[in-house]
Amino acid sequence: MPTRCYLMAILAACSIALPLNAQASLKLPETVKVNPAALNSEPICDPKISPSWRKAQVIEGVKIRESKVCDPDNPALIAAAVKGTNNISMATLMETDLSPDTIIKTDDIDGDGDPDRITIKLEVIELNGRTPDFEGLIPTFDIAPGIQPGAWVFAPKTSGMSTENFESIRANSLLRLPSPVIRVEVGDIVQIVLENTHYLPHTIHLHGVDHPFTHADGHVAGGDGVPQTSEMFLMPGESRVYEFQPRQTGTMLYHCHVQTHTHLAMGLVGMIIIEENRPNNWLQTLNVGGGHVRYPSVAIQEEFDEEFDLHFHAMDKELHEIIQKYNDPRLIARDMNRLYDITDSTEDYFILNGMSFPYTLRESIIFAEPDQKIKLRVANSASEMLALHTHGHKATITHYDGVEHNPAAQITRDVYALAPAQRLDLTLNTTNDGLHSYGEGIWLFHDHREKGITTDGMNPGGNVSAIVYKKYLNEIGLPKGMGVDVSKYFTQEFHARKLPIWQDLDESGSLGAPGVRSGIDPETQETVTNLLIGFVFGLLIYLIIAKKQQVRGAMTGALTKLRGSKGSKAND
Amino acid sequence: MRSPSLEAQKGVKPMIKQLFTILICMTAFGSHAFAQDSADHSQHETMQHDAHEHDDDAHEHDDHDHDTDHDDHTDHSAHDHSEHDMDHSAHDHSKHEMDHSDHDHSGMTHGDGHMMDAPGDHSMLHGEDDAHAHHHGDHHHHHDGHLMDHEGTHIMGQNFDKLPSSCTSISEEIEITVRGGTKYAKKFPGVTFAFDQQEWRVKPCSRITWHFINEDNIRHQFMMHGLPRYLYNLGMFHLENTGPRKVSGTMIVPAADETYLVHCDISQHMENGMKAQLVVGNGGEDIPSIPGLTPYVINDKYEAEDLPQVPDTDNGKEKDSLTKQVTDFFNDNVPIAGISFVGLLFGLVCAPLFVRMIALRKRKPEEDTV
Repeated sequence: MPTRCYLMAILAACSIALPLNAQASLKLPETVKVNPAALNSEPICDPKISPSWRKAQVIEGVKIRESKVCDPDNPALIAAAVKGTNNISMATLMETDLSPDTIIKTDDIDGDGDPDRITIKLEVIELNGRTPDFEGLIPTFDIAPGIQPGAWVFAPKTSGMSTENFESIRANSLLRLPSPVIRVEVGDIVQIVLENTHYLPHTIHLHGVDHPFTHADGHVAGGDGVPQTSEMFLMPGESRVYEFQPRQTGTMLYHCHVQTHTHLAMGLVGMIIIEENRPNNWLQTLNVGGGHVRYPSVAIQEEFDEEFDLHFHAMDKELHEIIQKYNDPRLIARDMNRLYDITDSTEDYFILNGMSFPYTLRESIIFAEPDQKIKLRVANSASEMLALHTHGHKATITHYDGVEHNPAAQITRDVYALAPAQRLDLTLNTTNDGLHSYGEGIWLFHDHREKGITTDGMNPGGNVSAIVYKKYLNEIGLPKGMGVDVSKYFTQEFHARKLPIWQDLDESGSLGAPGVRSGIDPETQETVTNLLIGFVFGLLIYLIIAKKQQVRGAMTGALTKLRGSKGSKAND
Repeated sequence: MRSPSLEAQKGVKPMIKQLFTILICMTAFGSHAFAQDSADHSQHETMQHDAHEHDDDAHEHDDHDHDTDHDDHTDHSAHDHSEHDMDHSAHDHSKHEMDHSDHDHSGMTHGDGHMMDAPGDHSMLHGEDDAHAHHHGDHHHHHDGHLMDHEGTHIMGQNFDKLPSSCTSISEEIEITVRGGTKYAKKFPGVTFAFDQQEWRVKPCSRITWHFINEDNIRHQFMMHGLPRYLYNLGMFHLENTGPRKVSGTMIVPAADETYLVHCDISQHMENGMKAQLVVGNGGEDIPSIPGLTPYVINDKYEAEDLPQVPDTDNGKEKDSLTKQVTDFFNDNVPIAGISFVGLLFGLVCAPLFVRMIALRKRKPEEDTV
C-alpha cells in the first residue's frame, strides 16, 4: 500500500536525521567576516570641504589663522563674521551663503576702531524633519554616519536653498547643530533679531548675559524670552529684536524659552561669549559649528595661543523622533507638549559641537604644540551632568558661568563637572611637567559618564574627541594613531550595529561574529520533530476517516467480541 | 456632494438601485477625500490676471477677516464658487495693494534689472512705494541672470527675451502677483505657510512677470523648478525676499503642456504648505501635497482625543439630571455621529435589496425542486 510506504520513508528519514544533527553540533560555527567592500564607507574628511580652507589666509583684510583640522570652517564665512555682511564684497558674501543682512556692523560709538552696533539675524531651522512627499528626512544632517535625529537650531540667516542644491537633500553647511557661537564685546549695542522661520513659536533667552528684563512693549521687543513673564510667543512668520548692551564679560548661553524642556533639547541653544572691550577689537561674531576660533579677540590673543569653543549637548532619541513622525504641527505640538514625558527620558546621543565620534575627529579636535596656553570655553546644554575628562592633561578652571574664580583658589584637575547649562573656562597648559601635560601625543577628551562615549549605546561614539599634538597630526589634519584604523567608524553599518568591530583583531578573527551551525540547531530540530509527529498523527486520522467502513467493521467486530465475552460473563 | 442618498431613496427603479448603492458608497468616500481637497481650482483661474486691477477705495489698512471665511471650505458644495470669488476679491483689496496703484510694472520688465527694493523702512510693507521710486540699483550681478541686492533680495533665472526652442513667439504677456505668508495658510488647518494661490494657469509660450510679495517678517522664496536648463540655470527661476518686501522677475515658459513646481525652499516651508503649481497649457502631472489642491503622498494619522468639553446645556440652561443621565448614557454607549446618519440612509436603501436577495435565493431552490 502506497500510504504505508510513505509513512515508513518519513519515519526512516527522521531516525537518520537526528543522529546526523547531533554529530554536526560537535563543531562550533566558523567566524563570519564582513567584507569592507560591503560597507557604506565615507571619506574620513568631508570631500566637499576644500583643503585650502585650512591655510592661514587674509580675506577682506581679515587675517584668518591656520586651522589644523580636516574639516575647517570656510574662511570666507570667518571674514564675513569678522567684518559683518555689510562690509564685505558681494563676491565674498556669495561664498558664504549668508544673507546680506545677517551680520550688520556699524557705528564706532566709543571711537576705539571697531564697530559697536552689531545686528545678528537668526532663523529657526529644522534639520532631519519630515516631508509629506517621500519617506525620508529633509534637510539631512548626520551627527555620525547615518545618524539623523530630528533637531531645531538657531541658524545664521542664509540665502537661497536650505539644501546644498536641488538634487541634494543634505542641509546647506550653515544649517547644522549646534546653534552658532556668538561673540560680542562689552559695551556693544547688540541686536539679535530672531526671525521665526519655523512652524512653532519660539523665543530667545539670554542666559547669563546682562540684558533688560523687558522693553517698553513686550509684544514687539524681546526681553528675558520667557512667554509667561516678559513677552509673548514669537509666532511663525514673525520677527523680534532682542537688544542689550552687556556690561560683563564671560562665556554664556542663549536658548529658546518656549517649552524649554523640549525646545532646548531639540537644539535651540548656543553659546554666546562677551569679550573684553579693547581697541580695534573686531570679533568673529559667529563661530558656526563652534570649535577652533580662527579670529580670536584682542584679549584672547594677548594671553593665549589658541582658543576653542566646546559645546556639549545630549539628546533623547524619542524626543527627536517626534518631528519625524508627523507633518502636521498640531500633532507635533500634541506629542511634544502633552505626550512626551521628560521625566521618563534617557539620553541617547551625545554630541560635541553638533557631532558625535567619529565626526568629532573631523572638526572638533584640540590641536596643540608643547608649551602652549590654550583657552577652552566649555558649555553643557544636556539635561544631565557632564564629567569632562582630559587624558594626559590637568587643566585649570578659571571661570564658572563667565565669572572669574579667585585666582588663588583656582582648581587644576582632570575631570571637570558641568551641571546642565553650566559653562567653564579652562586653561589648558601643554607644558610637559607631569602635572599640566604628560607630553606630546593623541590624548582623548570625553565625558566620563560612560554612556557619553557612546552613540545610542554604540562605542566608540558620543562626545569623544582628542587633544592632538602637531607631531601626531597627518597632512590632512587627522591624528596619526598607533591604534586601530578609524575608517570602520566612518560607516553607516558600524552605527547601525551591523559591523563586528573586533573581527580584525587577529588573523583568525577570534573575536569576530560567529556564523550559524551547520545542520539543524536544537530548537529547529525539536520543532521539526514535533511537526513530524503531528504530521504522522494527521495521516493516521485521515486513514481512519478514509477507511471508515473497515475501521467501523473492525471496531464493531472488536466490540461485539468484547460484548460477547461480557455478555457471556453477565449471563453466567 | 448634496446628499445623493436622498434622491436615491425616492422612486428610483429597482434595477438601477444596485448601481446607486455603489454610487452612494463612492460618494461617501469621495466626500471624505473632498474634505481634503477643499479648494476649487476655478478660483485660481478667475483670479489670475486681476491682481493689479484694484479699486482705490479699499485703502484702509484694516485687517479684514477673509482668513476665517475660508475655514469652512469643506462644507461648500462643489457648485458654489461665488463665495470663494468674493473672498478673493477681498484679498485684492487688502492693505498691500497700494504698491500697484501708482506703479507701472510693465516698465520694470525692461532690461536692466534695477527693480529691487532700495533701502528704507522695511519694517512695514507700506514704505515700499517710496522705495521703488528711488530705484537704488545697487544690485549685483552674479553668474547667469543671478541678481542679489544688499538686502538679499534675489532674482535668479530671469529671462526677458530668450525664446524656448519650442516657441515661435510670445503668446501673451502676463503679470501675476503672488503673496506669501502665514496669513494665507489660515484657511488650511494644520498648515503654517502658504502662497495666496496654489495654482496659476498660463498659455504655452507666455512671458510672465511675477511680482512676489512677502507679507511675513521673515524670509520667503518663490522658486520654480523643472524649466529647460539651456535657458534657466539648474532649471530654476527664483525670487527671494529677506523680509516683508516685493520682488519682481520675468520669465518665459516653454510650449509643452507641463506643470511646474513652485515652492519656498526654507526648511519646512514647502513641507508645511508653501507649495503651488504653474500649469502651462493643459498641464502635466499634478504636483503632490499642495494644500487644498492635491493629496499628500504621505499622510499623518489622526486619532480622536478625549479632550475636556463644556458640559451640555439646553438652551443655555443646564439639563435636568434625568435627561443628562439618559444623554450621557447614549453618548457613552451608542456611537451616534454624523456618519451614523449616512450609515442609516445607506441601511434604509440597502434593506429592501437584501430582502430581495434573500427572497430570490429562497425562491431558487423552490424553482429547482419544481
